[in-house]
Amino acid sequence: MGRKMLADGELDKAVAAEEATETHYDFDLFVIGAGSGGVRAARFSANNGAKVGICELPFHPISSEEIGGVGGTCVIRGCVPKKILVYGATYGGELEDARNYGWEINENVDFTWKKLLQKKTDEILRLNNIYKRLLANAAVKLYEGEGRIVGPNEVEVRQIDGTKISYTAKHILIATGSRAQKPNIPGHELAITSDEALSLEEFPKRAVVLGGGYIAVEFASIWRGMGGTVDLFFRKELPLRGFDDEMRALVARNLEGRGVNLHPQTSLTQLIKTDDGIKVISSHGEEFMADVVLFATGRNPNTKRLNLEAVGVELDQAGAVKVDEYSRTNIPSIWAVGDATNRINLTPVALMEATCFANTVFGGKPTKADYSNVACAVFCIPPLAVVGLSEEEAVEKATGDILVFTSGFNPMKNTISGRQEKSLMKLIVDEQTDKGIAIALKCGATKAQFDSTVGIHPSSAEEFVTMRTVTRRIAYKAKPKTSL
Amino acid sequence: MMKAQTDEILRLNNIYKRLLANAAVKLYEGEGRIVGPNEVEVRQIDGTKISYTAKHILIATGSRAQKPNIPGHELAITSDEALSLEDFPKRAIVLGGGYIAVEFASIWRGMGATVDLFFRKELPLRGFDDEMRALVARNLEGRGINLHPQTSLAELIKTDDGIKVISSHGEEFVADVVLFATGRIPNTKRLNLEAVGVELDQAGAVDEYSRTNIPSIWAVGDATNRINLTPVALMEATCFANTVFGGKPTKADYTNVACAVFCIPPLAVVGLSEEEAVEKATGDILVFTSGFNPMKNTISGRQEKTLMKLIVDEKTDKGIAIALKCGATKAQFDSTVGIHPSSAEEFVTMRTVTRRIAYKAKPQTSL
Repeated sequence: MGRKMLADGELDKAVAAEEATETHYDFDLFVIGAGSGGVRAARFSANNGAKVGICELPFHPISSEEIGGVGGTCVIRGCVPKKILVYGATYGGELEDARNYGWEINENVDFTWKKLLQKKTDEILRLNNIYKRLLANAAVKLYEGEGRIVGPNEVEVRQIDGTKISYTAKHILIATGSRAQKPNIPGHELAITSDEALSLEEFPKRAVVLGGGYIAVEFASIWRGMGGTVDLFFRKELPLRGFDDEMRALVARNLEGRGVNLHPQTSLTQLIKTDDGIKVISSHGEEFMADVVLFATGRNPNTKRLNLEAVGVELDQAGAVKVDEYSRTNIPSIWAVGDATNRINLTPVALMEATCFANTVFGGKPTKADYSNVACAVFCIPPLAVVGLSEEEAVEKATGDILVFTSGFNPMKNTISGRQEKSLMKLIVDEQTDKGIAIALKCGATKAQFDSTVGIHPSSAEEFVTMRTVTRRIAYKAKPKTSL
Repeated sequence: MMKAQTDEILRLNNIYKRLLANAAVKLYEGEGRIVGPNEVEVRQIDGTKISYTAKHILIATGSRAQKPNIPGHELAITSDEALSLEDFPKRAIVLGGGYIAVEFASIWRGMGATVDLFFRKELPLRGFDDEMRALVARNLEGRGINLHPQTSLAELIKTDDGIKVISSHGEEFVADVVLFATGRIPNTKRLNLEAVGVELDQAGAVDEYSRTNIPSIWAVGDATNRINLTPVALMEATCFANTVFGGKPTKADYTNVACAVFCIPPLAVVGLSEEEAVEKATGDILVFTSGFNPMKNTISGRQEKTLMKLIVDEKTDKGIAIALKCGATKAQFDSTVGIHPSSAEEFVTMRTVTRRIAYKAKPQTSL
């Protein structure tokens, strides 16, 4: 940038100085953490011509400050194993439903947890290897060990044998993800987190789950689907705080329909080890016995051991790395993506942030990630999927009337199986623009376009393009302006 | 299972009657025929005929399965009987290459039957994208269906052990049930249309408003043989009601009508096939594909691939196959953050072109 300002004579010197500075770095980019965000950033930056190094903790399904693995949470102890277990659990209900479709199962249907876990482990190892190959194919240098930042352009990796090696880099990317937190309840050492839950030796015949978010709800569904007794405790009236209230209510009703015992507005006060299992005392004084107690109350960014304070990288109150719209920290050469920044903690979002980073820093095309209309799903059984604003958020942000279209029905599959379980599909429209506030594609689809789409029959999907009558209208109320 | 199915269709039958009653529509049971531009005659079950005059008449008589005139064809059944069989067909032969043939093959095979599927072409589902047809065929075989491409049936003979079937290649098979699923034709023969002057049994027999050549007579659905799908019939009927009684002449839009073939595993498509896109192209066509063994199968061990495909007009970046009528571009697909893990996200993460089909200007022919 400064070149244009110099006179010709000084240009050669400046170029030489800059080139000298360039070759001083071991890498153009050094990434700490080889999970969804880290691997994507490393590969795409390398594809843009950058020389990239990446470090990751040694592999193990159960993470810690010193243990992780290439692939990260998503592959090893998150999205992938979770979905495998949900598939496994879903078969239980399907086998029940199959009876009214004419299938007779003459002997007992037994579920073997160990067999599914082995399959799960095989799969995450396979993916772990694939991720290593992806990095190698992109000529990214992978180092095993714990990385910490020792300067604006320097990362120190502590290898398994204890030796430390420093690497210099023009840019450093923090992609260390997050880890499950356990609340400090007496007896908390008896409880497990989702890491252990995905690698249990024995199937938990009696499970107690503490938490109201998607992880708690998914594990409740998984173990219940496999035949366990499940008690789910959460702070609010309904699980899945932050989601559309009408959908949360149906999720709760369907969890109960599947036999999960819900304990709203209840916490756990104590866990005690007994010969018969773990005795759990709730905040209402009730006692429960469990083989496993899962704390799924939240995850924190992994930023404590990165040495960030010394380098001056700012964190927020939750310990997440503070970044701007380009994922840059307050230190110009240090960036961060994924769960470590605690924006939207989903793999596809980490991938988006990492892709934008690679375009911005090495693609010559500064790109901001777009956080609007990010779809997400909760894989409880039956699942929930949403995109765009909830009804509550839409009303809050409204500048005119909001129209709500819903279709609630017992799907065809259930009318035959006899399962009493409703589906609910909902479309929220801004009356002024006719735009679906909840749309799955970034093309500003209008309700009229939805309506003009001929659906597939028979399917549940067609319900979205046949919502002819408004279920309710929420009239616009101008909010009083407050000056703060 | 048949009992559950029958209960359900009876339940829906009653619901449809109630829907008509709730709309104050008068329902008559009997066979209708047109006796004048404004007159319909209904012959009731007891044989008596009653005439009704109407400002407008709508033909919505649908279609019915056809059986080819193969020796022994009386031994074969159509989809009507197939959906109401007394006994499960342990050995089934299906003749036909369309969605009905393919779906019944999957149904009976899924329930444990031995199934042999015979069709005229190299692949089933003529008219669909060739790459998808090939995968459907491979997956049907993977599920244990015996495919007999480019083979027809020459003769059916009744025996004590079942129906002996001789193929056009001279091979012999024995089946409990032989299903002919070779096509359906519009139900227009007994409507007395010739006498009234309605020209319905030709291409273009109704105009874009579903009106026949007789101004007071209209037709929708399979009887007009446009796109024979329920949601399309619903669309045609809705447009008709808007046009004739809503004061808002509306033409049905036949572009980008999605449809699914419910074989196991199923196929769903919308928009142009690759072949159609290349045919209609005015520039290069980009094809994006994602073929994979879905996660569920990596655990179960089932060797069965999924294929997802997006066809893009390079000039406009518009997906030629889009599920929404909003002219979505490939860039918009790409900018959409998918749900993980799901198969759906494959559609919004197709970064690399699988192949490009360069535009070739076709010589103009003057006919």
